Amino acid sequence: MKKKRILALALAASMSLGLAACGGGEEASTESPSGNGGESTGAVELNLWSFNIGGFTDSAAWEPIVAAFNEANPDIKITVTPINYQDGDQKLTTAISSNNAPDIIFEGPERIVGNYAREGLMVDLSDMWTSGGSDIAEGISSVSQLDGTYYMYPLSVAAHCMAINYEAFEAAGALQYIDEETRTWTTDNFVKAMEAIRDAAAAGTIDVTVPGIIYCGAQGGDQGTRALVNNLYSDYYVTDDGSSYNANSENNVKALKLLQDMVNNGSMSANASFAASDELQAFANQTAAVTFCWNYSNYTQYAEQTQFTPFAMAFPSDDGKPELEMAGPYGFGIFNNGDEAKIEAAKKFIDFVCNDKTAGVEAVKTTGFFPVHSEWGDVYADAEDADVRAPFALMSDYLGRYYALTGGWTEQRALWWPMLQEIMTTGADVQTAADSFVQQANANIG
Amino acid sequence: MAQNTVAPQQKPNKQKNSQFSGMSKALVRRETISAYCFLLPSLIFFVGFVVVPMFICVFYSFMEYGLGGIKGFAGLDNYIKLFQDPIFHRGFLNTVLIVVIAVPTVTAFSLWVSSAIYKMHSVPRSFFRCVFYLPVVTGSVAITVVWKWILHPYNGLLNQVAGTTGFDWLGNSSTAIWFIILILFTTSIGQPIVLYVAALGNVDQSLVEAAQVDGATKLQVFWKIKWPQIMPTTLYVLVITTINSFQCFALIQLLTKGGPLNSTMTIMYQVYDTAYRLNDLGYANAIGVVLAIIIAIFSAIQFKVAKTD
Repeated sequence: MKKKRILALALAASMSLGLAACGGGEEASTESPSGNGGESTGAVELNLWSFNIGGFTDSAAWEPIVAAFNEANPDIKITVTPINYQDGDQKLTTAISSNNAPDIIFEGPERIVGNYAREGLMVDLSDMWTSGGSDIAEGISSVSQLDGTYYMYPLSVAAHCMAINYEAFEAAGALQYIDEETRTWTTDNFVKAMEAIRDAAAAGTIDVTVPGIIYCGAQGGDQGTRALVNNLYSDYYVTDDGSSYNANSENNVKALKLLQDMVNNGSMSANASFAASDELQAFANQTAAVTFCWNYSNYTQYAEQTQFTPFAMAFPSDDGKPELEMAGPYGFGIFNNGDEAKIEAAKKFIDFVCNDKTAGVEAVKTTGFFPVHSEWGDVYADAEDADVRAPFALMSDYLGRYYALTGGWTEQRALWWPMLQEIMTTGADVQTAADSFVQQANANIG
Repeated sequence: MAQNTVAPQQKPNKQKNSQFSGMSKALVRRETISAYCFLLPSLIFFVGFVVVPMFICVFYSFMEYGLGGIKGFAGLDNYIKLFQDPIFHRGFLNTVLIVVIAVPTVTAFSLWVSSAIYKMHSVPRSFFRCVFYLPVVTGSVAITVVWKWILHPYNGLLNQVAGTTGFDWLGNSSTAIWFIILILFTTSIGQPIVLYVAALGNVDQSLVEAAQVDGATKLQVFWKIKWPQIMPTTLYVLVITTINSFQCFALIQLLTKGGPLNSTMTIMYQVYDTAYRLNDLGYANAIGVVLAIIIAIFSAIQFKVAKTD
């Protein structure tokens, strides 16, 4: 009996100690040496959570940048946690709500400014803009702030575009409908091209299953379907004054009706179980002849799979003058964890990555996009794949308004793809569905 | 009146006396302390990771709680919103549909399969148990990926075989929920089959043989002899399958994300969606509380019905 009691007590004690050990982990690691030979005086440990932007898919991609930073700042230890768009929001929400938010986040203004700064979670970075943001375009600086205060410092930017299967278009005789030099096309020509692809596929001339897929199974990659609808008849997603979502405007309804008609006549397909990644995969394996979710990052991701030339194109517009959605600008924000030493160290790191030309150019190249600093010029001029990158640089000329900071943005994203499902897969009345979308989206616009 | 109050008090005393007969009070106390010491580690985890979060969940459900923390007391607003929310209504109906279809089907099918294999030689019996248990150990993500490939509109096996290339089974609001139920079914039958095979193997064969000698039919043997003896297993299977069906999440997250047009939305998925996509944590907690209450009611009904039987 005595043995049993001793065993029970020992077991209980070990479990309690185990719990205590778990609880004490963070403190222990904070006090540990920060890579400067064991000296811990003034050492700061920062957690950087990085979304999978371009080549920043794992912590190894950050290693050369962090190593270069540590040469000048050995007392600042950076721990990188890669997160992705599948479950990154879930991880961040969990971390924030349990007071364990990371120190630095690498993402775009939609989350840094629109979500987190709006909730009062981010540090004011205005001083960084004063010292280093003079050559950053107004369009980028304007989306890095909320009510006049900067909460994000940008690194790189690009434009979302679409792409076509060049060989399929050529075989279907559809290249006549695109301007290969400017990579633009009109809405009429887009319709003709899609019909040509449909007919060629039916005749067996080309080996694709569908001309294109309007994916509406989830919100991932919804910038593609937004840009497609908005460009077809040159309208905007949000009204000029930002007071209302605009899907039910005359031109946007006309665009949605056109796409509905195309789905009905087989020159387009719609899939309510497809997200952008499914559509991209369908494009890569030649199931579809176009993709509406393209950028350099996706090009590199699918390059090995594609047995054809993915030809980047701007979205079609009635006047041939597209306005593309901004991919990014991607940059950094600092969560206000109340530790001034950490905040200062985080600013040092961001300043190094975004303003030091050597480190910054490497970081920009890893994203695969283009620098926000106009003074840095063409960072890919000497790159081996400069010709591949050139079309994406061209797309930057077509950048349009940025509206992802409109109030209720997160909530409206949850409404957009169900609206597309309703219109494209059930044949619902476009005006009614668009009115319903706008009414619900505007309820959260603030 | 006095007699009524005395009688029930005597019964536990008798039980206690018989249970600890021959043991001194000191010994009983030591045994009890030892028992609690052994329970303590599990209890700490249970209280820390189940009981406390449950109370926190109830607390937050009455708050206006977003990413920036608690913004104020919401009273019953989250619960009122919930009952006015058409997505919740749809989620509730879908959840009930999944439970009502999946639970009896899983229970009946696994009992049928178990009845067919439990008398087999150990090798084929183990083979079948293994086959049916595979989806359980494979994991829902891998299973889902395979089903996604089978149901792919353009390159999927089902459309290739059926000659319906392009038909989007998971993108059609009439068919998506049925495939969710089908996939849930395939991933849910493994454990009940293993349990039923064990339970049927433990049925007292002398009673079965006696009934057969007395001329009982197979149905009568099953219904009068075996069924009562496997009832505890059936109750366990019912409760576990019900809870799993209510909490069906991974399939929906990976296959349909609640769509198309909320046709596969469930209460469990709405909790996730509201918390992590819309960042409305107070409302998500309210939905979670209601889900817990619904599961508790269903489980209580099942216990009551099974106990009556």
